[in-house]
Amino acid sequence: MHIDRLERYWIIAVTAMLGVFMAALFVSVVVFRVQLPSPVGRVDPRALAETEFATPGLSDLGAGRYDMHIVAKMWNFDLGQGKGEPAEVRLPRGAQVTFFVTSEDVTHGFFIEGHDANLMLLPGQIASTTVRFNRPGTYHIICHEYCGPAHANMVAAIIVE
Amino acid sequence: MQAAQSLPQRRPAPLSFPSLAMLASERTLIGAHIITALAALSIGILMGPFQTFRRSPAFMEALPDWKIPVFTYYYQALTIHGVINALFFTTFFIVGFSYFVTQRSLERPMYSRGLAWGAFGMMFVGLSLVLYAIASNQANVLYTFYPSLVAHPTFYIGLVLLVVGTWVVTANIFLTYAQWRADHPGERVPLAVFATLANYVMWCVATIGVAVEVLFMLLPLSLGWITHTDPQMARALFWFFGHPLVYFWLIPAYISWYTMLPRQTGSQLFSDPLARVAFLMLMIFSIPVGAHHLFSDPGVSAAMKGVHTILTFVVAVPSFLTAFNIGAVLERAGRSRGARGPLGWLVRQDWGNPVVAAQLAGMILFIAGGFSGLIHASLTLNIALHNTAWVPGHFHMTLAGAITLTYIAIAYWILPLIRGRALFSRPIALAQIYTWLVGMLIFGHGMGAAGILGIPRRADLAGSGYISPEAATWLNSAAIAGVILLISSVLLFINIIGTLFFSRAPVNEDGPITTGSSDGSPLWFERWGLWLGLMLFLALVAWGPLFAETLDLVNGFNVPGFRPESPVPLQ
Ligand code: HEM
Ligand SMILES: [Cu+2]
Repeated sequence: MHIDRLERYWIIAVTAMLGVFMAALFVSVVVFRVQLPSPVGRVDPRALAETEFATPGLSDLGAGRYDMHIVAKMWNFDLGQGKGEPAEVRLPRGAQVTFFVTSEDVTHGFFIEGHDANLMLLPGQIASTTVRFNRPGTYHIICHEYCGPAHANMVAAIIVE
Repeated sequence: MQAAQSLPQRRPAPLSFPSLAMLASERTLIGAHIITALAALSIGILMGPFQTFRRSPAFMEALPDWKIPVFTYYYQALTIHGVINALFFTTFFIVGFSYFVTQRSLERPMYSRGLAWGAFGMMFVGLSLVLYAIASNQANVLYTFYPSLVAHPTFYIGLVLLVVGTWVVTANIFLTYAQWRADHPGERVPLAVFATLANYVMWCVATIGVAVEVLFMLLPLSLGWITHTDPQMARALFWFFGHPLVYFWLIPAYISWYTMLPRQTGSQLFSDPLARVAFLMLMIFSIPVGAHHLFSDPGVSAAMKGVHTILTFVVAVPSFLTAFNIGAVLERAGRSRGARGPLGWLVRQDWGNPVVAAQLAGMILFIAGGFSGLIHASLTLNIALHNTAWVPGHFHMTLAGAITLTYIAIAYWILPLIRGRALFSRPIALAQIYTWLVGMLIFGHGMGAAGILGIPRRADLAGSGYISPEAATWLNSAAIAGVILLISSVLLFINIIGTLFFSRAPVNEDGPITTGSSDGSPLWFERWGLWLGLMLFLALVAWGPLFAETLDLVNGFNVPGFRPESPVPLQ
């Protein structure tokens, strides 16, 4: 099979370019430790009351570290806020939070503005990611997967002080 | 007719086709598919601009109570838009186009007209059922229909009929090819048919995933035969299918670029063998990459995500091969039109011929859309972009840009052949194409920028509380693009209606088909059994472990179904 000389150069150049892209990816994973969600475990969405998700909310592990359990449901995030209270949580600057999130009903999304947190929330699966909050401000947690009529209002807030 | 280099002695073909008309048998069959496709598009496409209005803070401030006409529930309109445009318009159009390409390139009728009409019937009933389910508000589940959302059974049955219809189409095309092969031992099948065959092989492997999902999980759940499901498994099965689906749309556009554009621009294909390599690569590597749609999923390991990312870069190669090959076609075309200098040919193109201009405009969008795809295919950047407005920004430059514009180019010559009259208006066609190009560039850029700022996709943003002023600017610019694209869509339908009912001039543009083929490529490229085996092997390697880690018969399958309107489970 004949391959034109110029075309061969092109193929080599393109392959090299894609190689560079891949190397950049490798660096972002190995050096900068960008993490992808990985399996944490399953839960029974019909019986969340019998699991670690019975009482959602923040738990202080000391030394600026926190665990945060959240239950997504049609159409709000349960961060452990009381009835009628806004879905928000206050954190000190520099807090490092490991989120454990699941859904009680349908597929939802979990996206924190301005931070590397982007999870699909599937009923039956625990999703987890760790985020460090270095800049003061208000960051929305946005549900980014369609979950019914009030989907676009499914939002919570993280306030970094 | 473009001279193929050194044809062997050919037998007289079983069927000869008129160049500026269609045979009666072609007209009915191909006409039915293409016109159904365009009718479906006319419903689906209109929702797009309306969605941009609902998502624009400025628009909703001016008209706070404005709702999308007819499909007033935003997600109903979005379901129509996704399902009808991405699943039904494309499939009907591709099947009609495949029949035209197959019959004319092989100079013989389809193996069975009965099968062809049977498949059309199934697909058409499928379309009707799905339209019924969505229009009656019983299937507001979007075109990805992720469980545990559950739609009315007619929605799933309609989709099954669509897919089974395409399996029948595949059988018909392969049987036609087998007949041709028996008459032409040792000859290479024309490139357009080669690509068509590759496309349907890929499609049949890919649809296994969605067929298992719908038949064993969603339809029984919707009928109440089972009570629980597993959303992670469903997503894995869906995206086994979902990425090849994208190439199923793309390959017919590539067929037009590789085998028709050279004729339409008075140029010649640069390399037939490398075109075949590109199609083979698209076919084979479409399968082991689908998990790049699952980067944010909790139940899929980072290792599997990494494997699929690497292979995703491999599947970019055939598109770069295409860029070179088509670039060479256009260079020759430009130089023959008097272009000078190293880059003059980029400008000296036939921008005034709708059939060429639509494809060139599509290519411009494809460059932007393709690179945006490489960006979010990089798993670490994907964290910032997954499910944001960036993603529809990307695929409106590829699917709604390059692919749809190329289908429109095809419509601009195939509709006249179906009707037996020239295209109604070339100036309107040109206005349509350039408004589409400009509209999609503004739309893609606005959605991309809004996505980078964290604006989600699939959201009726009217009234949501998280839009920053900066993001609002970009959403408003997407709505301006929506206006431009609405005008463009109206121009498109004026030309379609005009060509079908009001055009008087005789047909002046023939179907750009090349019969015969050059000798450059090895014959083993047509070992379809070998490729099928390779694809199944790659599917096993790349998807086997993923399904294994997803499947849990003890602790999985514990999620009841829900209607989108209510948080109360169905059972
Ligand atoms: C007339 C021009 C068009 C405009 C203005 C437009 C606009 C839009 C908008 C704003 C969205 C995102 C809505 C959201 O995420 O909430 C969208 C989604 C989509 N569009 Fe278009 N669109 C157009 C044409 C097309 C065409 C021609 C196709 C396919 C052939 C297409 C396929 C899709 C698909 C598959 C989705 C995703 C639906 C989903 O997320 O469920 N669009 N469109
Ligand atoms: Cu939600």
